[in-house]
Amino acid sequence: MSETNGNGKLYKLDNVSRVFRVGSQEVRAVDAIDLDIDRGEFVAVQGPSGSGKSTLLQLLGALDKPTGGSLSFDGRELTKLGQGDLTKVRSRDIGFIFQTFNLIPTLTAEENVELAMVPIGLNRGKRRARGTDLLEQVGLASRSKHLPSKLSGGEQQRVAIARALANEPRVLLADEPTGNLDSQTADEVVAILRKLSAERDVTVVLVTHADEVAQRASRRLRMRDGKLLDQPAPGLS
Amino acid sequence: MFQFGYVFNELRRRLGRTILTALGLAAGVGLVIGIIGVSQGLDQAQAKVLAPLSSIGTDVLVTRVVGASSNGSSATPTPAASAQTDPRANRGFFFGGPGGNNNNLNVADINALASENSNVTTDLSKLGKPGTKFTHDFFLSATLLSFPDQALSQVAKLPGVVSATPGLTLLAEHQTGTVPQITAELKTGGDTITQNINIAPPSASEQAAIDACLAKRRAAGGSGGFGGPNPSASPGSGGGDFRGGFQSCLPERFRNFRAQFRTPLRTIQQVVNPPQTDIKTTSYNVAGVDPASPRAGLVTTDQLTAGKWLTAGQPNQILVANSYANKNKLKVGSTITINGTTFTVVGLVNPTLTGSTSDIYFPLSTLQKMSSKTGRVTQILVKTSSASNVDAVAKEIQKLLPGAQVVTTKSLAAQVTGSLGDAKKLASRLGGALGVIVLAAAFIIAILLTLSSVAKRVREIGTLRAIGWSKSRVVRQVLAETVGIGVFGGVVGVGIGYAAALAVGAFSPALTATTNGVPNIGSSSFAQQIGLQSSTTTSTVSLHAPVHPTTLLLGIGFAIVGGLLAGAIGGWRAARLAPAEALRNVG
Repeated sequence: MSETNGNGKLYKLDNVSRVFRVGSQEVRAVDAIDLDIDRGEFVAVQGPSGSGKSTLLQLLGALDKPTGGSLSFDGRELTKLGQGDLTKVRSRDIGFIFQTFNLIPTLTAEENVELAMVPIGLNRGKRRARGTDLLEQVGLASRSKHLPSKLSGGEQQRVAIARALANEPRVLLADEPTGNLDSQTADEVVAILRKLSAERDVTVVLVTHADEVAQRASRRLRMRDGKLLDQPAPGLS
Repeated sequence: MFQFGYVFNELRRRLGRTILTALGLAAGVGLVIGIIGVSQGLDQAQAKVLAPLSSIGTDVLVTRVVGASSNGSSATPTPAASAQTDPRANRGFFFGGPGGNNNNLNVADINALASENSNVTTDLSKLGKPGTKFTHDFFLSATLLSFPDQALSQVAKLPGVVSATPGLTLLAEHQTGTVPQITAELKTGGDTITQNINIAPPSASEQAAIDACLAKRRAAGGSGGFGGPNPSASPGSGGGDFRGGFQSCLPERFRNFRAQFRTPLRTIQQVVNPPQTDIKTTSYNVAGVDPASPRAGLVTTDQLTAGKWLTAGQPNQILVANSYANKNKLKVGSTITINGTTFTVVGLVNPTLTGSTSDIYFPLSTLQKMSSKTGRVTQILVKTSSASNVDAVAKEIQKLLPGAQVVTTKSLAAQVTGSLGDAKKLASRLGGALGVIVLAAAFIIAILLTLSSVAKRVREIGTLRAIGWSKSRVVRQVLAETVGIGVFGGVVGVGIGYAAALAVGAFSPALTATTNGVPNIGSSSFAQQIGLQSSTTTSTVSLHAPVHPTTLLLGIGFAIVGGLLAGAIGGWRAARLAPAEALRNVG
């Protein structure tokens, strides 16, 4: 870990592949990617549909395991961890933001934020306090008792950001966070993401189609057919 | 706990799904409770009809029935007794019982029967002077023979016997009317009997003797002429003296003759008018119970519907059966007079001992005195220390009292026909299967609805996994939700079941049951021989579906099990969802 801290690398991907088998066919969703992501970076991943962006994000988020290569997160080799440990990594170190917000429809805004604090064992008081604080920071203090169905798309995504930050993660992984939002709201959401990640020293990896969103990233990666275009994988002829 | 709130919110805010799943479980649970209730109702109805003994705190009923045989039509006595014991061995008061396989009465039975019923041979002339009105109640034991109450103490001493209570059941004949004139006059004599005798004329030697005698007399007396020996000559001409002389000269044959004759044999028929009387006879059943045994006997305090139980030491108190009371407009406090004694009704009862229900219950000693049966009883009602030794006690009693008919609750069962029997058979054959099918259907519905819910919540489950919820936590969540639905469904189901049971109770369908009652008047082989009705009793019982608290708890338990099952399967399905796949499916 000290080594990782030393050179500021949060992620280190070596020849990472994720191959799906559909019948007799192999689909190389992520194909031999080498990639380092530093702490505090705001990385945008772009690419057409089916290029493997979301799969890469899931590998980074410990939701899925590579079928090849090595993937080190914060000095830990994720490919060697079991499901239980991966769950722990997700609960402690990773925050997810989805295109479709993925709020639990039966829970209020503040309950949705609290949801992410349940696995880390925070007591009710601390959960409430942190939830209120986060909703304030995303500008939704007055909407904390509302169900998702009573919130606008932008508001829902801000609740999702608050939820993603609730476990004080090292990295925020956002999959098309502005995909379902109009451009003005998208700007607001990206602004919030930038602000909070900067304040909290949280690394952000953001998958997006939108150039205007990608432009606000500190680094832009492009993917096609499972490969990173800007950083050709070694050995690729 | 957060998860509890989450579960609650899930149930509350997905009310449609919650209600649908809960209703599925509720319907199943309600039906099962209904089935259990009806089944228990049938059990109760059967117990009421088939096991009348238990309701009067009795496990074994001992009676002495004329011609009691091991294959008798009533409840089967323990066969061992008739086969293994000597019916007359040192037991003078029980005899003649084991009749083997024939229905013939033995002499002892006939004598006993005649003796039992002798006191009721009505001698009208003894009821008073002709023309006077009379009212009298006669008590007869018909074919249910009495026996000395010393049998009671013997039975009470048997191991396993908790109590032995006496009972005396008699048939009462209530007669009212006028003492009739019963005299017939027969006159005899005054007959004229004519006899014609032809006497043979004197023979030659006799004539000679007569002549000689007459000649001798004539010579001695010299009086009067004599018409000669010719018999045709008038004898009168000779005068009185001659007549005497003549007679004395006749041979013995003419002076005295004897003949025997018999008057013709005749039968004199004289019609005697039958006694002109207006005697009316009504019958009712009476029983003597021990006032000191309010918990066991032919009737017990359990069957008391009004008033109070007999007070010991009050010989003139009686209990009256509701049916008899209604018919005769009797109530608590009413009085009736029987053979000059006034009795007060202290309580109304609803007797349940099929075949032996009586109309009036007297203190035992009172009835014994009235019926000239002091020290005699017709039933011994035995309570055993536990249900398991009923059979053993019955066997012991049979050994102790050969000829006794020993009936146990169990031996009364197994003999039922009619719609109750059919329903009971149906319930026992199909009830269980139906319950299982209904429950299984309810469980399957709950499982399918839960699986469908899990399928609809793939994104939610994927999200939970993504933000760090473990598999087990997700499974617990699904499980808690379905158990919550199970509890809800259980409560609603209990309501449905309870309502169904109430509905059954409200409609209370009538079931008929034909059973072999306990031995009573007309239940013996003798009774069958002389054409009395057999001992079968057809009773109608209303079906009720009692719902016990345990049934309700069982219903909720079923629903929770259903919820657990659905949750386990749904949770397993959710746990199998790889988080990435779950999110990808949505994306």
